[in-house]
Amino acid sequence: MLEAALTALGIFTDPGRLALLFAGVAAGLIVGVLPGMGGIVAVSLILPYIYKLDAMAAAAVLTGALAVVHTSDTITSVLIGAPGSAAAATSVIEGHALAKQGQAARALAAAFLSSLVGGLIGALGLTLAIPIARPLVLALGSPELFMLTALGVSYAGSLLGKEARKGLLAGLLGILLGMVGPSPAAAQVRFDFGRLYLMDGIPLVVVALGIFGIAEVIALLARGGAIASATGVGVGWLQGIRDVLQHRWLVLRGALIGVWAGILPALGATAGTWMAYGHVVAASRDRSRFGKGDIRGIIAPEAANNAVAAGDLIPTLLFWVPGSASAALLVGALLRYGILPGPRIVTEHLPLIYVIIWSYAIANVLGAGTCFAVSPALARITYVPFVRLAAPVLIAIALGAYQTTQDMGDLVALFLLGLLGWMMSKSGWPRAPLLIGFVLAGPMERYFVITTNLYGFAWLARPGVVIIGAILVAPFVWGLWSSIRRRRAAEPAAQAPPRRMPLDLALSLAVLAIFAGALGMIRGFVPGARLMPLVAATPGLVLAAVQVVRVLQGRSTMGDEEPPSQADRRAGLFGFAVLAGFFTLLWLAGFHPAAAAFMLVFLLGPARMRPGPALLFTAATIATITGLGALLGVHWPPGLVGRWL
Amino acid sequence: MRTLVMAAVLTVVGLWGTPASGQAPYYAGKTIEIIVPTAVGGPSDILNRSLAPFLEKHIAGNPTVRIRNIPGGGTVLGSNWFAVNAKPDGLTLLASPVGSKIAYMVENPAVRYDFRKFKLVAISGSGAVFYVSSRTGIRQAADLVRAQGLVMGSPSPPGNVLTALLAFELLGANPRVVFGFEGVGPARLAFERGELNLDFQATIVYVTQVLPLVREGKATPLMTLGYIDERGQIVRDPAVPDLPTVYEVYQQLHGRKPDGLLRWKAFRATVAAAWVYGRGLWLPEGTPPEPLRALHQAIDRMNQDRDFQEQARRLLEGYALIRGDLVESQVHRGLGVTLDVRKFIRDLMFQKYGQAI
Repeated sequence: MLEAALTALGIFTDPGRLALLFAGVAAGLIVGVLPGMGGIVAVSLILPYIYKLDAMAAAAVLTGALAVVHTSDTITSVLIGAPGSAAAATSVIEGHALAKQGQAARALAAAFLSSLVGGLIGALGLTLAIPIARPLVLALGSPELFMLTALGVSYAGSLLGKEARKGLLAGLLGILLGMVGPSPAAAQVRFDFGRLYLMDGIPLVVVALGIFGIAEVIALLARGGAIASATGVGVGWLQGIRDVLQHRWLVLRGALIGVWAGILPALGATAGTWMAYGHVVAASRDRSRFGKGDIRGIIAPEAANNAVAAGDLIPTLLFWVPGSASAALLVGALLRYGILPGPRIVTEHLPLIYVIIWSYAIANVLGAGTCFAVSPALARITYVPFVRLAAPVLIAIALGAYQTTQDMGDLVALFLLGLLGWMMSKSGWPRAPLLIGFVLAGPMERYFVITTNLYGFAWLARPGVVIIGAILVAPFVWGLWSSIRRRRAAEPAAQAPPRRMPLDLALSLAVLAIFAGALGMIRGFVPGARLMPLVAATPGLVLAAVQVVRVLQGRSTMGDEEPPSQADRRAGLFGFAVLAGFFTLLWLAGFHPAAAAFMLVFLLGPARMRPGPALLFTAATIATITGLGALLGVHWPPGLVGRWL
Repeated sequence: MRTLVMAAVLTVVGLWGTPASGQAPYYAGKTIEIIVPTAVGGPSDILNRSLAPFLEKHIAGNPTVRIRNIPGGGTVLGSNWFAVNAKPDGLTLLASPVGSKIAYMVENPAVRYDFRKFKLVAISGSGAVFYVSSRTGIRQAADLVRAQGLVMGSPSPPGNVLTALLAFELLGANPRVVFGFEGVGPARLAFERGELNLDFQATIVYVTQVLPLVREGKATPLMTLGYIDERGQIVRDPAVPDLPTVYEVYQQLHGRKPDGLLRWKAFRATVAAAWVYGRGLWLPEGTPPEPLRALHQAIDRMNQDRDFQEQARRLLEGYALIRGDLVESQVHRGLGVTLDVRKFIRDLMFQKYGQAI
């Protein structure tokens, strides 16, 4: 085994192959930075070019790209608040909060180092797991997989924030959004409103980009000024590295969660990242900083998302059950060389497996190194007046979302989810539970149905189920116990003065209407499709009603944050109006005219640039996006006009 | 700047000025887009991405071939998009995964495309194998009918597992079917874990993933769907010729041929649409002969290419890539099932399994 590993390492002494690995890493890094574009785009970008390479070189370049997407996607998440890929949304919560405090460098340094170590642990885990991978993958049955998804959802419980009611509502809303589309086991497409677009569910990328990306950009615009409100770029780097050293066990835990999420067929990269985030919050004693820029909330998920891609390779290569679309494409590429996944791959193609593992490890080092090198320059972006950056960022987000199905539905969903995300953040509703609910609702329902159909009630007594169940329940018991103790000790908190919160009221009423409408629609579903949406919508309706009453009483608060001022609200709503105008123009006139017009109007209007520089900036941006888009094979919204011609 | 403009003008002139025939081939300097109506990474997507470089190499004029995924609506959205937007210029092709054909066959109301108006560029397919866990004690396919406690997994909607359900109906077997798996891959994992004891997989998956289990004595292969030869006859699967077909097993059980039975017609229709002619490449109605001929010639050349032959064993799972015009009428005919067959399939799926297709 060691011999095979060293032989495989030998292939990288060929500078040509090393250059290819570099090329793969470069592609992965660039795609990772672009909002909403992940490993799939990177791999499909490379695939047409590998056909003249040998198998080892092809595996190296593809693995190189896959390995680093989750290193560089952090950059966009932290600096701009728009997730570079769906799995990077956790870094928006903590990392972007740090960037706003002028600590972008610290957040990025911690993220890159965690990514690097997580990736290396993933590669090591992959090496160690290969001899025992088959029993490992087969160890957990459907009941255990169901319990793991339930455990993931329960982690949302530690992310509820100051007002648990709002967090619960967000989680239930996320589950309900995850129910859109086909029911996993019954003849029912749920909540599709007769739209073909909704028949396969709302794409995860669109949800992440809307709830976090659009919402953050509009909020930043409305606030005005630069992203960072404090100064001092350079000081954070060493601090970030020290943070990782201080929390080294957290890196290990995050990476292990990631590897496992990759190995198991039910979860996947986004769920693995969120589970690592949920785990670190649940396991921390002092939770007061989470959501406002806690470095621990960056370290664990960043270690996890780089490790997921390594874990993913185990079911992909040994069982031909790829855990992600990009892994499926990797298999497709290997098929060309006569390399078929399955139990025999370990005996027949061991050198290739080691090439993949080495590529994975080397790519992680190269990727993190490159990110370290370019980030000081990039971090300065947080000191530029944001109003100048907003238009290109919004254009990139819209384009990223449009790639998922190339339907105007992508942009409509993006807009509505963006509005939802903005209202949530301006009314003290945490957004993390929504995304966790959305990501895990599907697999949880799926494995619940399979489990009960296969086992009846007998599954409840399985040892694995009991163990995971205990892990699931323990924090709640502990929390209850300590809150009882605290209540005895603590003084009654001073009542905050009642406030009028019109956005909160609007949001609460909208959510109430959504749950009520959903309950009405559920009555028409076939029996097998009802359970999960009912489980989400029934408590949702009750809680939403309570929430509306609370707001009307003036007793719904923002925690310790200040509620938005009237000017802030107006500016935000104005931002959404402008965005609606841009999307309408995209629909009518197609990408290039719409993007150019939007950007010019934006620069001349809110950004108050002079016509000369504004024109130049617009031309440069559109040219860059067009060039990069052509390289990546991006689909441009054609516009009604374009279709007529 | 000036040179840039000149270059642009020259390119445009170069593209438009290509003579329709004679010196330059039709596809010279053009780009072909293959619409794949599923997400990236699905079997249809991977197959077409693998075929793309060979198409580029063998189509006269060496056009660029790009894949465009338009997922949604369970393959219907992308196929509809093609029906509405593709111009008859040979530059936009549609890949037809199983789902789009089944939706068409049972006349799903959302379907806006009509395969019987499209021109077939090429088609290939696959067979599939039924197998059980050795612990069931079942030794041969005929035992399926009497066996108790058989459990199989399926995605929902069942997609091409539909064919397996119709095979059980034909033979009179009644295994329990648990729906809800993400796909046939996770169902196979559940089989290996011992949660399921009956499974059904495409031939290549059988050969690479299940045959090792058979050798270890953990799984027992039973029968194949069979394959359709050029005369339209059901024959043994060329990739697994030692296993009997469902057709043979029926005869063994009942002592007569199933031809003429409604159950048989339904089964055979889905074998053709979802398996033997499972993966097609189409051009829109009204495509002129020139691009069509160029593409057909390319398929011939691909089939003679040593490199392609070598790779086709894996990419096409050992089955042939058939030039479209050779089987177009047969494929068209197979996709148009009679009202009673359609009703039989729908009723069976809804009433017995609670599934809509």
